[in-house]
Parts: sequence; C-alpha cells; structure tokens
Amino acid sequence: MQSFIRKPLAVASSIWIFLLLVAFVRPSILATHATTFSDTTFAFDKPSSQHFFGRGQVGEDLYSFAVYGGQNAVRSILIAVGIGALVGVPLGLISAWAGGRIDRATMWLVDLLFSIPVIMLAIAIVAILGSGITSAMVGIGFAMITRFARITRAAALAEKEELYIDAAKITGLSSFTTMRRYIFPNLIPTLVVQVAILSSIVILIGTGLSAIGVGAERDDADWGAMILRASENSLSEGYWLFFPACLPLLLTIVSLNLLGDALRDSYVPSGSVTSLTSTRRTAKTTTADLDVIDRAALFSVASLSVEFPTAKKQSPKKVLHDITFSVKKGEVLGVVGESGSGKSITMLASAGLLPAPGQITQGSTYFDGRDLTTATEKQWQKIRGNDIGYIFQEPIASLNPALTVGNQLIEPLLVHTDLTKKEARAKAEELLAEVRIPDPASRMKQYPHEFSGGMAQRVGIAMALACEPKLLIADEPTTALDVTVQGQILDLLSDIQTRRDMAIIFVTHDLGVIAEIADQVIVMYAGQVVEQASAENIFSSPTHPYTQALLATMPQNHSGDVDKPLTVIEGTVPSQTSIDAGCQFAPRCTYVQEQCTVTLPTLTLVGGSTVACLRAEELQSEVVNLTVSSTEKVTQ
Amino acid sequence: MAKYITFRFLSLLPLLFAVSVVSFSLAVIGEKVNGSIAVQKCAEDTSPTCVATIEKNLGIDKPLRHRFVSWFSDALQGDLGISNQTNGPVSELLLEGFWPTFSIVGLSLVLGVSLGIAVGIFSGTKPGGARDTVTSVLSTSFLATPSYVIGIFLSFLIATKLGWVNPTRYTPTEDGYFEWFKSIILPAASLALPTMAIIQRQLRSSMASALQSRYVLAARARGVSRNALVAKHALPNAMIPTLTVIGIRVAASIGITLVVERVFGLNGLGVILSDAVTNNDIPVIQGAMLLVATLVLLVNLLIDIAYGFLNPKVRLENG
Ligand code: SF4
Repeated sequence: MQSFIRKPLAVASSIWIFLLLVAFVRPSILATHATTFSDTTFAFDKPSSQHFFGRGQVGEDLYSFAVYGGQNAVRSILIAVGIGALVGVPLGLISAWAGGRIDRATMWLVDLLFSIPVIMLAIAIVAILGSGITSAMVGIGFAMITRFARITRAAALAEKEELYIDAAKITGLSSFTTMRRYIFPNLIPTLVVQVAILSSIVILIGTGLSAIGVGAERDDADWGAMILRASENSLSEGYWLFFPACLPLLLTIVSLNLLGDALRDSYVPSGSVTSLTSTRRTAKTTTADLDVIDRAALFSVASLSVEFPTAKKQSPKKVLHDITFSVKKGEVLGVVGESGSGKSITMLASAGLLPAPGQITQGSTYFDGRDLTTATEKQWQKIRGNDIGYIFQEPIASLNPALTVGNQLIEPLLVHTDLTKKEARAKAEELLAEVRIPDPASRMKQYPHEFSGGMAQRVGIAMALACEPKLLIADEPTTALDVTVQGQILDLLSDIQTRRDMAIIFVTHDLGVIAEIADQVIVMYAGQVVEQASAENIFSSPTHPYTQALLATMPQNHSGDVDKPLTVIEGTVPSQTSIDAGCQFAPRCTYVQEQCTVTLPTLTLVGGSTVACLRAEELQSEVVNLTVSSTEKVTQ
Repeated sequence: MAKYITFRFLSLLPLLFAVSVVSFSLAVIGEKVNGSIAVQKCAEDTSPTCVATIEKNLGIDKPLRHRFVSWFSDALQGDLGISNQTNGPVSELLLEGFWPTFSIVGLSLVLGVSLGIAVGIFSGTKPGGARDTVTSVLSTSFLATPSYVIGIFLSFLIATKLGWVNPTRYTPTEDGYFEWFKSIILPAASLALPTMAIIQRQLRSSMASALQSRYVLAARARGVSRNALVAKHALPNAMIPTLTVIGIRVAASIGITLVVERVFGLNGLGVILSDAVTNNDIPVIQGAMLLVATLVLLVNLLIDIAYGFLNPKVRLENG
C-alpha cells in the first residue's frame, strides 16, 4: 500500500525538482514576465489568465517572481549543503572511527556550534557580513557542518556497534578497511537521505530569514521576500498573497523529503519493514501430518515448510522443506548441519518465533499432547519461557542492553508464576547460583555489557530454566564462545539435563558436541532433514554422504596426523534451494550418479537410520568399514 | 547517576565559556568589518576627539584581552552592554523578548514531544499497517511544512476567519494563565506540528528496528507479552536515538520561533533581532546569541541526563 502511494509521488517529486533546476539555469523558459515588469495601477490584481498568481504591490507578475525565486532556492542548497556536507561528513567519520581524544575534541566543538540555532548563527553572520542572501547562506552552511558531522558520527557508531556484535566479520581487517568496506557503504543511505532532508531545512530557514527581512532584499524575487511583502499587505488585500511564494516553497520541501524517502526505500530491501510476528498460510493440520506425528513424543513437528517472500515477483524462497522430527521426554535431540542448512529457522518456526516476513506454508506442531499448529501468539506466550525454554546463539545481543540482567531474569517468573517480585528475585539468585555465576545478588543489578559472553550465556540458560521447562531448545548456545567456555557451558547443560530430566533440542554445527550430549540426531542440509538416527548409529554407521562428509571433518578423525589439514567439504550449502532438481547434495556428493540429479530422494528407513539418499542401501554396507576406526575414538 | 549528572554538568562549564568567547568575537569581527560603533556614530561629527571620546566611554579603546575580561565579568552579572539603537541596557531589551519566545518554544515542545512519542509508538509497533500509512502521510506533510507557513495558515483560519483567538501581543502570566495560553497557542501549535512529525518518524523507525532485535526475540521466547515487548523492551532503546532528535529540535525550535513570532506579530526575540540586524546593533545580537546558546546547552544537559537513564553503558562508563 505504502509503496504504491509512494512511487508516483517520487516521480512527481523528481519532476518538480527538475523544474526547479530549469528555473535555476534558465528561468526565462518558465517565466511569463520579467522581474522588472511593473504597473502600479494594477497592484494586487487577483490571478488571471495573463497573471496566473495575480499581481503584487507594484503590479508585478507574482508567477514570474515565484519562478525567479527558484534561483535563490537552488543557490542556497548548493552553498549551504555543499559547505555542510564537504566539511561535516569527513569530520563525523574521523570522529567516530578515531574515538578517544579526537572524538571528544571534535564533538566538543560540534556541540558548541550546535548549541547556537541555525537561524541565530545566520543572523549573526548577516549582521557582520551585511544583509544579503549569500551571507545568510554561508551562515546556514556553517551551521549545517555540525548537522552532517553529528549524523555521520552517530550512524557510523551504530554501524561500529553492529560490527562489534558480528565481531567475526572484522577480525583481521585494519580499521581503515573496516571503515571503507563495512561502515561507509552502510552510511550512504543515511547520508543521501540526510542531504535531501537538510536541503529542505536549508530552504526552509533561508526563506524564513528573508521573510523577517534578514537575507534577501525586500523587493527581490525570492520566496521569503515575497512572504514578507505578503504579510505586510495580507490584512488589507487578503491571504491569497501568500500563495505564490508558499506553493513553490511547500512543493520543494515536500519533494525533497519524498525523494529522500524513496531513495532510502531503494536501499533498504523491501521485506525489512515488517511486523513482529510472522504469518502462517495453512492453518489446519493435514491428515498427512497426522500420519507422521509421533504422539508419544514430548514435542513433535511434522512436515514443516517455510518460505520467505522475495523481492519483486519472483517465487518465494523456500527455506524449509517437510521437516519432521520429534523428541521424547528426557531425551536430547541433536540437530546438526552447516550454517545455512536451516537449523535455526526450523527451531524458531517450531516455537512460533519465525521472524517476519517468513511464512509457514505447511506443518504441524505437537507439544505435550497439545496441538499447537494453530496456536495464537497469546497461547504461545503461555508456553514459551514456561514449558519451553529457549537459548540463543549470541548471548549478549539476546539481552536487552537497557535493562539490568536481574530485571530480565525475573521476567519469565513474573509472567508465568504467581511469585511476587521479591520472591522472583530470590529465585533468580538461586538460578544464577545453579548456573554457577559467582555473587548472584550483585550480578543481578548489572547490565548486559558488564557480562562476558560465557557469563551472559549462563544468564541465558538460567532464564530458560527459570520455570522448569519440559523442553529446552538450545540454538548453537556455545558457538559464539571461546573453547574453554564452550566446554563449561556444555558440562553445565548436560549436568542440568540429567538432574531435571528435561528434554533438550541441541542445535549445533559441531559433531563433537553431538557426540558428547545427544541421544538422537537429525542431520540437516539445505532446509531438509537428510538423515535421522540414534547418536550411536550416526557415528557407527553414518549413511548419508553428507553425514559421512561431516564426520570426516571432525578434528578427532585426524588425530595422530597433526600435519594433515582438516578435511573440508567442497562447496557450500546452496542459498536458493530449488527442490525440483533432484538431490540437493548432488553438486558436492562424491557418490553422485545420474539419477541423483533427476529423482528427489525421500526419507526412508535403511538399517537403523532414516536417510534421504537414493544410494543409501549400497552406501550403508560400504561405509561401516570405512569409518569404524574413527568411530571407536569418538565413542570412547 | 549522581556522579554522571555532576560530570555532565561540569562539562557544560567550558562549553559556556567557549560560547562566550564566540559571542564576544562576534563584536570584534563586526568592528573589523564595519568599523567600531564610535566610528559609525561619528560619521557626521568631524571633531577629532569624537571617536576617541566615545571609544573611551564605552571602554573599547583598551586591548582585546582586557575588554574580554570586563565584558565576561559583566556578562556573568547579567550586564550585556548597551544597545547601539536604544541606548538602553541589552539585558533589559532581551529579557523583554525572552519570555514570549521562551513560552512559545516551551509550550510547543511539551505538545510536540508528547504527541510525537505517542503517535510514534502507535505507528511503530505495526509498521506497514493502515494506521502507519495514515500517520506517515500526515507526518510527512507536517514535516514538509515550515512552521511559519503553518502559522500563516493558522492565523488565517483560526485568528481571522473563525476569530477564536487573535494574538497580537504576548500576554504575561501575571494577566492570567488562560490569557497567556491564548496569546501563544497559535505560534506554539505552528512549531509543535513539525516537532511532532519529526519525533514520530524517528521513533517509528527506531521502534521498528528495536522490535526486530535479538533481545526482543529472546524476550518473546520467555513468553513476554506484546505490550511489555513494546513498552519495556523496545521503547527505552528506541528512545535513545529519538532523544538526540529531540535535542536537535529544541535548538531548531528556538531559531524558528524567531520567524514564527513575526507571522503573528508577537514582540519576542525575533522582532528584536531583526531590528538589531537592520540597525547593525551588534551588542544586542551578541547578547542574544549568548542567551540562546546557554539555553540550548542547558536543555542538552537535561537530554544527556535522560540519555544516561536510558543507556546504562553511557551512564556507567562516564560516571
Ligand atoms: S542421492 Fe545421490 S547425490 Fe544425493 S546424497 Fe545420495 S548419492 Fe549423493
């Protein structure tokens, strides 16, 4: 709806700005009279076919005055925005990147100038340099420096913060490269929008100054001067006198703003402005789902498929295809696959947390005997954090930076139990002790930025455990942490799992972790489950070529041969999956045959495993011999 | 927090001093460009002692350093010199214009900020929805309309056509709060509408991105209700960039009032300043600049304090 309204408006805005430029370069094309044309006998004549906007105090043609006024408007943008952007943007960038003393000194100066309103500064400069539109514009341009510097700096800092979160992205790059490659390109949308918006502010202020007699001369062809003359005569001659100046002024400012918006929208992918919750297209559990649903399980998901709408009219991107899995009470299900295999989306969608604009196109969810397929957000609210705990990959980003850790920790307790705030605090302290955070009472009062990644993840675990959930979904809980901390967190989780007899779905790309913790395993590739088996089977007789390849990359399988580089699986997970063309793994599979690119393999029971591979049966017998030696090491 | 506030307050002092330096140099640059006030006043008087006498009387014959010290110590006591034009004290002249201007800006900020936040939350929680489309069309139009044009329209519609309120002079609060309110509501509304639009737009976009953040997802996974997600989790974070925008708008409002007052013929700082420019009355401009800048700095201090409340990182690292 919005883009529908906006597009024609953006075109109209461009046309207006073009006309303004024509008025700047050659006003005589658009004007009907010269600015020197006057005849006092026809002063204040109403608009007519010869004088579209009527006539002014000395009988001048107000339409032509409005056209010539465009010259001052464009000139003021060129001078003021030019000065502001050329000085302000580099200043802001340097300040943001250098940080420390340079940042403080620059911002101190900018703040200082910032405290003088643009109009005040312009008035002062006009007082010194003498009246005239140019001195007013220099004054405004001077003030614009501070605007550009501030905005650039703020945007660059925000980008820096983002990068800090994705620290992996920037490690090993010099700060200059980071600034050029990652920060500046991301600032361009902001800056382009700012040029448009600040241009409109420059026009607004420049016209305003002329309207109070500071700036253009009283009799000039200038929108502000025209407003000044109109205000002197509006009471006796009528308010229509404002029209010839206000109309082009408004159109210019509106156009600049709309263009800014349109430009910004063209930088931001269309799906990015979305609502909090995603939608679901099919509401019903299908009979096919009922066949695969495992009613004995604590949590089971059947035939889950998810799509993301793509730009323009392309068909939506299917990210999950027919995912089926279940986890029994007290069992640990490992979900393994490379990044991009759809593990996280599977978990989010299963817990009703699929981010918009993702769409669940089919599938059903059962939890603890309840059909959650069509559960509303309200119903999910009662389950999430209560019966199902969720741990995220980035522990610090998952905590609200503005609230104390304690405040967030007691949240599930306040939402799901009848505990008072005080009781919840006491319980939260116990939880922190349980996840082995020293000095819980004082840690509760701290903010997330005072926590290390490992400590923050302990908080994440404590939060997920607060209401003693029957199921814990842990989405790569250790990936963002360093190795020693990883081990501690893992120990902690399996410890708690045994103690509380809780089911866990553990998502990871690391088979080593799976070996340590999982009872059952599903292997995911390109949004599909390719193999499902007990952990024992996965390691003793991996069947799907992808599972085998994953196993081969495990460091354990290289022990004794330190110099040999780790095996990597050639190629990458396809980003845009197209399910109609046979097996998704075919391009990377060492066992690929012609039929693989034609026929789509479906999950079938082969030996003790369920595998989606056309050659599963032949492979299973071969592979046992291949990997038996390494498996012994893993299971020891 | 107390430590943070003290720190912010102390860091204001050098800024105030620097603003004084800037204001003072205004007069000096003015003298260099246009000749001293004494030279101007003696344009017709040809007696050789004329310039010297006036310069001595005004104390502008002394070295700059001394002049600054005496100007600064006078300014600290509220003495901003003598107006070239009225020959009265600048401070009295400015004080006369200060209350109307201050009242208009104050009222416009109260109205604009509170409405802007309310509408911003309203539209930001469901971006792309119908109510978002309506509010964003409305705010784009308010944003694009200069306050003085809104002023022209309001004075045409409400003052002239409907005759509800017709402010021509500022009425001080001593004459009754309602009369005071009536005398400033139209200019304040003219300023408040764009303020509202600016804040709404900022809050809408920062709200939308806060709602898409990891911590909101994590809070949803804890079973936090939708209203709490918005009010408790997203709003404090979304307010941080919004505060910066409010700060910018405060300074802009003070500037734009100078123009809006003229539209309504109110006798505030705007009228005094444009007269001062016409008459090359540098001491008045100098004093006004100092006054306005001090005001903006004080408001920014308040905003910084609010910023500290919302952003623990800032508060703890600078406290
Ligand atoms: S179906 Fe063919 S290509 Fe796919 S995994 Fe099996 S052998 Fe490899």
